[in-house]
Amino acid sequence: MSFEEPADDQYEPVTGKDAQTVKCVRACEAEAAAKTASDYEHVVWAYGVIWALFCGFGVLLWMRSKRQEADLAELKRRLSP
Amino acid sequence: MKRHLPTALFLLAVPMFIYSVQRIFLNTPIESKMGTVQKIFYFHVPLAWIMMALGVACGIAAGIQLRRHSKLAEATSIACAELVLVTGLGVLITGPIWGHATWGRAWTWDARQVSTGLLWIVFAAYVLVRRYGAAGSDRLAAALAIFGAIDVPIIYYAVKIWKTTHPTTDVVGSLPSQMWNSLWVALVALVAMAVALLVTRIRQEMNAIALDDAWIAFDERTRAHGGSGGAA
Repeated sequence: MSFEEPADDQYEPVTGKDAQTVKCVRACEAEAAAKTASDYEHVVWAYGVIWALFCGFGVLLWMRSKRQEADLAELKRRLSP
Repeated sequence: MKRHLPTALFLLAVPMFIYSVQRIFLNTPIESKMGTVQKIFYFHVPLAWIMMALGVACGIAAGIQLRRHSKLAEATSIACAELVLVTGLGVLITGPIWGHATWGRAWTWDARQVSTGLLWIVFAAYVLVRRYGAAGSDRLAAALAIFGAIDVPIIYYAVKIWKTTHPTTDVVGSLPSQMWNSLWVALVALVAMAVALLVTRIRQEMNAIALDDAWIAFDERTRAHGGSGGAA
């Protein structure tokens, strides 16, 4: 990797930002990051609850149908000569 | 075709759920005031619509059952009520999660929250009366279901009548097209899933009624022949 030195007329000194601006920007970034992380936590919980409820109801239906099948089998057994 | 309807709807719902989540997180802009947490909206609102539609359907079915003693109406009202409990619980949990992030408080006792909570309690009472009520309790149960159905317009208009922290119903109409389209995709996924579960539950209840009738007929026949029978 080689670096070419800029010509004298292309040279621009790096000025940077003053310490107060950098501190302020970092604080804003930290606040935004914390808000986004908190938001995602809430979203994951909300979506998880919805899916868990539907899955739970599906499992309940499946268990009921198994009970019904057993009940029907018992009735058939008693009806058979 | 009718026999495979729940399976077809379930097979539609699963990819639609996946697509809706992908769309919500990757193709829908982040709302400027609330930020990322607004993405709860895409499932919370359709779930609330489904809950309200099922509440009305349950009230109508319970009314028909009361007048005509229809077994299909009885099965439909029970299935609708149970799904109101499932979707209502979803609404009552996701709403406060969203409120906690946005307002800083999960529950503010505003009119829409209270009327939605009331709807859930009424349908919980309906399910309990149907399940454990004595003979003749179906009239009380039907009255509860009709009361629940009347609560639905109260939920809808609560944000218009009273001053609430909950956003008004105009919010949905003012959505930008990308958000609106994502809402529709989520709505289709949830409706397909809810209808699949509803049809399955109605059939199950019809089978349960038929099975009960068969056990009663069996008991009566056994008694008439002097044998020993007994329902399981």
